[in-house]
Amino acid sequence: MAEPLTAASAPPLLEANRLAKHFGGFVALDNIDLAVAEGERLGLIGPNGSGKSTLVNCLCGTLRHDDGTILFAGRRLDGVPAYRRTRLGLARSFQLPRPFRTMSLVDNLRIPLLYSVNARPGARLHQAAIDERCLQLLDEVGLADKARRLPRDLTQVEMRKLELARAVASAPRLLFADEAMAGLSPSEVEEILGVLFRLNETGITIVLIEHIMRAVMSFSTRLVVLVAGHKIADGEPQEAMRNPEVERAYLGE
Amino acid sequence: MSTGKFWIVSFAAAAALLLLTRWQIQNEYFYFAAYVVLQYVVLATAWNILGGYTGYTNFGTAAFFAFGAYTAVVLHKLTSVPVPAMILAAGAVSGLLGFGMGYLTLRLKGVFFAIATLALAIVAQTLIVNWDYVGGSRGIYIIRPQQAPLFGGYIEYLYSLMLLLSWLSVALARTIERSRLGLGLAAIRDDEQAAEASGVPTLRLKLVATTLSGALMGMAGAPLPYYVTYLDPTSSFNLSYAVNAVAMPLIGGMTSWIGPLIGAVLLGTIQQVATVTISSALNLLIVGLLLIGFVIVAPNGIVGLVQARRRSGRRRWRSR
Repeated sequence: MAEPLTAASAPPLLEANRLAKHFGGFVALDNIDLAVAEGERLGLIGPNGSGKSTLVNCLCGTLRHDDGTILFAGRRLDGVPAYRRTRLGLARSFQLPRPFRTMSLVDNLRIPLLYSVNARPGARLHQAAIDERCLQLLDEVGLADKARRLPRDLTQVEMRKLELARAVASAPRLLFADEAMAGLSPSEVEEILGVLFRLNETGITIVLIEHIMRAVMSFSTRLVVLVAGHKIADGEPQEAMRNPEVERAYLGE
Repeated sequence: MSTGKFWIVSFAAAAALLLLTRWQIQNEYFYFAAYVVLQYVVLATAWNILGGYTGYTNFGTAAFFAFGAYTAVVLHKLTSVPVPAMILAAGAVSGLLGFGMGYLTLRLKGVFFAIATLALAIVAQTLIVNWDYVGGSRGIYIIRPQQAPLFGGYIEYLYSLMLLLSWLSVALARTIERSRLGLGLAAIRDDEQAAEASGVPTLRLKLVATTLSGALMGMAGAPLPYYVTYLDPTSSFNLSYAVNAVAMPLIGGMTSWIGPLIGAVLLGTIQQVATVTISSALNLLIVGLLLIGFVIVAPNGIVGLVQARRRSGRRRWRSR
């Protein structure tokens, strides 16, 4: 397995400072500081309702954060709409797969290629190159034989793979995989993990949001734990899990 | 067929239809009836750009259509420009209305968007009712010339213009459908959040859709004052425009350019025949019944039926 390309001196790829979000009186995120280094495999865990998805939504621009700053590749992201963040290289997959249901798998991947990759300055893939790239991406996740099918023909695990492939089609530098394995069997979890490891080896930084601890522990080089909108641990996975606060949050008093 | 080729082939088809009808049919009533059917081809196609491709249901068709008609009235009173120029001006005015509506309402979704468009139609009608210059609630008489240059009777001239406009809107709709824009609109229809996360600038694309859709509806309305010769708010903002513009794509099929065309020709013709043989009061009833039937039996319209049949045919063939 390739070692993560972290260099202590390099500035982080993604940096959130004192990020805050509340819904009415409910504090979903309370001054979160988070830095993700280029090439890293970061695990983000926490009990249900701890703010993991809210954090991802704020970082990706699906939700607007109330306070704090976000820097991505040295660029301020505050107020930048979601589609621009994707074009800048910040991609995500959704917790519940959200395929374009009336489009074939190929067309599902065509959207990010046309609207993200081709929207970047200097890049202009032609029709044939886009077709080829779509098939290549489907092949990488093992869906090549279903290229012309509709998403409704897919199984649960295939749907997750499509979700990942579509996120990767935008050629991201950083990918948020939001519970890409929830509800899958152990062998299917291994399959998705394999896909994520391969993506990381191609240089994509990955933030994995996951409940399945075995998967998180084997994948992550660093672990961030959220509880009730607070970050209570951040560090080497084994160490983070031994943190008394984390034990309390997961096992009770 | 490539997009460029389709523009040429469809133009040839429209020109052939024009020549054939002008050569074979002398009965003036035919042109009165055909004009209405073609007008619905434009309205249904225009509606489908926002409703079918993008998934935003617009119940305010009458507002865009009537704004087009009243733009023509204003121009008629101010100057003496030819009808094609009025059509272009009406397109600009209703396109602007579409842009404004989009800007104000596109953060709304589903039912809320639909209700907002309905409200827009009512506001627009109130505006015209209280504007004396264009006749207010009393309406206004427009004297149409007896003859049009090159075209003979004036109604034949209006029919020819509407045929041209039908060609333009159908070809435009098909071009959009097969373009990057069309794929982006379809992504919005399927899942707006996923579209945004894939890099689709959803707000901008929706504004393009509302503007184009509104502009085409306005263009369809521009010749109306000359067609009816008496225009009043009650008839120009009539609910039947909004209902037909929704029903025709629904019955024909909303995912393809040909759906609204089939729906408009089919429903428009049935309505015209019923008007002559039974009564025009039946028109909305016919639409209503057909709509209920299609929603239950073929929710994807005629195009959907044909596609499903083809698919099952292929599957049977493969399993043999």
